[in-house]
Amino acid sequence: MRRADRIAGAVLLVSGVAFSGGALKYYTYSGPGGPGSAFLPFWLGVIMAALAGWLLVGALRSPDPGIEWLPRGEGLRRLALVLGVTAAFVALLKVIGMILGTALFLIVLMRVLDRNPWPLTLSVAALTAGLIYLVFTYWLRVPFPVSVFGI
Amino acid sequence: MDFLGNLAMGFSVALTPFNLLMATVGVIVGILIGALPGIGPPSGVALLLPLTFGMEPTSGIIMLAALYAGTMYGGTITSVLINTPGESASVVTCLDGHQMALQGRAGPALGIAAIGSFIAGTIGVVLLMLVSPALARWSLAFGPPETFALMLLGLTTVTLLTGDDALKGYISMVLGLMLAMVGFDIISGDARYAFGIPEMMDGMDFLPVAIGLFGLGEVLAGAEMAKGNTILQGRYGLRDVMPSATDWMRSRWAIVRGTVLGFAVGLLPGAGPTVASFLSYTVEKKASRHPEEFGKGAIEGVAGPESANNAAATGAMVPMLTLGIPGSATTAIMLGGLMMWGLRPGPMLFEKNPEFIWGLIASQYIANVMLLILSTAFIPLFVRALRVPYTILMPLIIVFCITGAYSLKNNVWDVGQMLVFGVLGYAMKKLGYSPAALVLALVLGPMAERALRQSLIISDAGLGIFFLRPIAAVLTVAALVAVAVPVVRAIVAASRRHRAAA
Repeated sequence: MRRADRIAGAVLLVSGVAFSGGALKYYTYSGPGGPGSAFLPFWLGVIMAALAGWLLVGALRSPDPGIEWLPRGEGLRRLALVLGVTAAFVALLKVIGMILGTALFLIVLMRVLDRNPWPLTLSVAALTAGLIYLVFTYWLRVPFPVSVFGI
Repeated sequence: MDFLGNLAMGFSVALTPFNLLMATVGVIVGILIGALPGIGPPSGVALLLPLTFGMEPTSGIIMLAALYAGTMYGGTITSVLINTPGESASVVTCLDGHQMALQGRAGPALGIAAIGSFIAGTIGVVLLMLVSPALARWSLAFGPPETFALMLLGLTTVTLLTGDDALKGYISMVLGLMLAMVGFDIISGDARYAFGIPEMMDGMDFLPVAIGLFGLGEVLAGAEMAKGNTILQGRYGLRDVMPSATDWMRSRWAIVRGTVLGFAVGLLPGAGPTVASFLSYTVEKKASRHPEEFGKGAIEGVAGPESANNAAATGAMVPMLTLGIPGSATTAIMLGGLMMWGLRPGPMLFEKNPEFIWGLIASQYIANVMLLILSTAFIPLFVRALRVPYTILMPLIIVFCITGAYSLKNNVWDVGQMLVFGVLGYAMKKLGYSPAALVLALVLGPMAERALRQSLIISDAGLGIFFLRPIAAVLTVAALVAVAVPVVRAIVAASRRHRAAA
């Protein structure tokens, strides 16, 4: 946690300074009609930099190494898998479409992650894709992306 | 009487078949969401919000408010049977509820929670009905300085109360405010921090952010573990969940105290059902003639907090509806929904959209009755739903996160944004930051900025305006106290450490 706090503190400190600097450079701090569009962003950046500085100093001075926050081994594998498959689904959404994509996503995750039996996996995938089609496409008329197969 | 007429009009709205159906769906989905560990009330409301876009706003809010009430009870089932709270307002129920279950008294624990929730929810709606119009009338006198001071108070108290680490809470809040600055500035027309990306010029939509932080973030945190829950076996038929006469005698005052305390806590900005349930437990332990039984299966320890969290969920609707200031992450998402439906939360809502307000109030009475019926007669069904393994549930929740984020504006950009905030939500949860403070700040940010700039225009850039007008002064001082508390606490702790080291 201490290491994570150091990294977070440094990143937030830089972000705060950049946010304030950007506000002053590109927008107006104050005009004839009162405070301008840079006014609040400038001060928010300053406050963020101060809070991040506090976090950073605390983390640098703390003798306590804190707890591990990222999982290891099997936990990390599962986390990476879920995140990876989800990111791939989102990236390919326009190609595989929402309804077909949903079914494929469920099949991949349910099989790879925990080796759920095929009949269960296929029925959950088909039922969910069907339900989403019914609620979003049919009832709410949401124009989901469609795959090359037309679904 | 004026409000009896309004209430009758409200019931005529709430009792239409579609709105009744929405209240039923809301309660059932709410109980399920509350019961399933790893998905709480804010994610539930965020995930169901896209479904309401095709409805009348009244039907939408009826479903979401019923869902919120349902989650408060749903969390109890898991607390009692698995000793894992389904959501944070039921944490304290584990203490005595699970002990009762281990002694073979899971039925009465669930039963008294259902009855307490019903009584507290119903009295809560009566109070909501009496308090809201008066508060709305009073707040009509609010100018920009009062509005800004109130928002500041809401933001600082939420930050103070939602996390263990106040510094990280304030960082989360400021991050939310910074994100709220992205997009067109309404006064100057500058497209701030948009980096020339058209999707960012309209600003950060709160819905993909909320779905990411709460829905996906929570799922990712749960993804690490291959979960298997041990559910205590038992009989949960209607007769088994009815509390005995002794149970009832021991619980009745706990329910009354929990209701009053819960509603009052719910009214405060920042202090929602979770704080109410913890306070109620402390009060019950102090008031009890058998404090030694607490933690070992005292029924008052279930009845009080469970009543308090339902009353607080109703109380939290008051500042959201009358002042436009949500007190928690869940009501912040509801407020965002109100704005999406084109309604302007705040005092004028009572004047301009009476059918919306009174329809909502009437539907809350109906939702409470449904909650009582469903939570006493259908417990076995919900227990069965708990047996659905997390490995099936998790991909399903992710699918709903993706479809929900997409259907906001029908674009993939929002889905990508949801994914980014999902990862951020996971990291925030693991590292002790407060996603609730971030979402609240994101929702309130634009309104707070407008009020601040208007105030400074009125005062010719002097900050004195926040201290010279009586209401603004009280609210500003209260907000500053909320900021000062953790600072003073940190300084005292540091000096104590210093003295101990010397």
